[in-house]
Amino acid sequence: MLSLFLRRAGFSLLSLLLVSFVLFVLTRSIPDSPAHIVLGDEATDAQIAQFDHDHGLDRPILVQYGVWLQRLVFHADLGQSFTTGLQMNTQIGQTLPVTLELVTVAFAVSVVISLVLGTASAVLRDSPIDYGARLIAVLGVSIPGFWLALVLILAFAVDREWFPPGGVSPLSDGWQDHLLSIALPCFCLGAFYMAVLTRMTRSSLLDVLGLDYMRTARASGLHPARVLIYALRNALVPVVTIAGVSFGHMFGWALIIEQVFNINGLSHALLVAIQARDYALVQAVVMVFTLVFVCANLCADLLNATLNPRLASAPA
Amino acid sequence: MRRIVNSCGGAAGFIGACLVFGLVLVALGAPWIAPYDPLHVSIENQLQEPGGAFLFGTDQSGRDVLSRVIWGTRASIEVSAFAVLIGLVFGVSLGLVAGFYRGGWLEQLTMRFLDAIAAIPILIWAIALVGIFGVGDTKLGGITLGNEAKLMILLGLLYIPTLARVTYTTALSESQANYVLARRLQGTSGVRIMFSDVLPNCLSPVIVQGTLLLAIGIIIEASVSFVGLGVQPPTPSWGNMLADARNYLLSGEWWLSVFPGAAISVTVIGFNLLGDGLRDRLDPRHATASLTT
Repeated sequence: MLSLFLRRAGFSLLSLLLVSFVLFVLTRSIPDSPAHIVLGDEATDAQIAQFDHDHGLDRPILVQYGVWLQRLVFHADLGQSFTTGLQMNTQIGQTLPVTLELVTVAFAVSVVISLVLGTASAVLRDSPIDYGARLIAVLGVSIPGFWLALVLILAFAVDREWFPPGGVSPLSDGWQDHLLSIALPCFCLGAFYMAVLTRMTRSSLLDVLGLDYMRTARASGLHPARVLIYALRNALVPVVTIAGVSFGHMFGWALIIEQVFNINGLSHALLVAIQARDYALVQAVVMVFTLVFVCANLCADLLNATLNPRLASAPA
Repeated sequence: MRRIVNSCGGAAGFIGACLVFGLVLVALGAPWIAPYDPLHVSIENQLQEPGGAFLFGTDQSGRDVLSRVIWGTRASIEVSAFAVLIGLVFGVSLGLVAGFYRGGWLEQLTMRFLDAIAAIPILIWAIALVGIFGVGDTKLGGITLGNEAKLMILLGLLYIPTLARVTYTTALSESQANYVLARRLQGTSGVRIMFSDVLPNCLSPVIVQGTLLLAIGIIIEASVSFVGLGVQPPTPSWGNMLADARNYLLSGEWWLSVFPGAAISVTVIGFNLLGDGLRDRLDPRHATASLTT
């Protein structure tokens, strides 16, 4: 268990380092340098050199990376934007919670629904429930979330005013309004992964239910609910892995969904940064995404190891 | 007929193949099929409801939505197809070499590097990289790359890990098969065995994965264009049409958002059905990863 955790964590750390290095080199080596953006086209070479010197941009790239990494690791400081001078920590601190809430709610709801639906569909194979679940699964993976969002806004926020058409109403204005305002975005965000996970749960559970030890369990007179629990423990392994990956992917799609609903989350920060050519902020936001993604995958691995101890002792 | 349906992996796969075939025809024949010029602005016709002269209605500049959806097919399929092509060329080569010459530092280095790249979802990579390289034209050596070409290349590069992983897994087991040993005993060179014997046996899962990546490419192109980082207006693409449509959502011009979105969904359904069908037929052991972007 511990060795599995260490191995996985080590690899995640390595990925993070590599990604951060690639991003760092890319954002620092584009011709559009911060000095150029801030000082404009008329800047003299001396002014540019002075700016670069003041911000430490004239040092070798490896040294710059070292300094940046050291601040990030020891002080949790993402640094300061060269173009706007704002602290990246505050900018991300303001927008991350909004995105995190959307993604967490969407993730939790879609995982619960897909587990129930997938299990029901596998146990009651070829029943109307099964057909319904399979239809939802096919539709869910084919309809892009942001189009779903536009259609749902048309149907439920414009034609019938059940939900607000955009924005998030703050919790201080009452929790009902808050929930209503995040309902549509969360649904659009979760629909695709709900479909994927439902399909996954169904097929994985069907595979396990057909195995010999399941027949033995049933034949020895165990209660059907108990048999199902044993089956689920084994069937959920691939589902948990994909769910972990999904959490990170949802974070990515949140960029698009937030844009449709005019939500001031991380996507807003990223797109504003791209438009303002604030590459340091672009880099910081992408680092946050990578971190979330890697952590989600790590959590999935750990959960799998607890669900199914055989995985923990298996060689890599 | 029966044989054609079977080679697509059953009825669903056949429907998918028909949809894809139809869409490719639309993309290729856009100049002849589209009833109007997709860029023709006419203020007197702006925001007409569907029906009459304009089957899908007109947009805020009086451009025909049907013609723009038809031309958008071209942009989407172009980006997605070229991206998969780039991914195939590099991904399959890398995966094949790493799998065939297993146990070496080359294998470790390639596969670890690709795993690290795959540590971030493709969508985020795509948005970040387009963001870093800027939205306008980029000069690379003597060649000027438009935004569409840039997106194509970036997506292609991002597909490499997935395709390399699939090829690698199959190449690893194929290269230990008896026929490879037999060829070695005949004195055939390693490179020759790799390309003429192992490669053809690795292609089935690669084809399946490639088809599914086509579907993903359509969604990603649309999403990136939707946030304004992909195909740039006035060139029509489903994504940037939807971005425009967002401004007319509250005033009730529903046709602006419904038709381009429906086109995306139909295309994605087509590629997914075909991919799933091909998987049942070519890769019954499911070596290819399931659909996650």
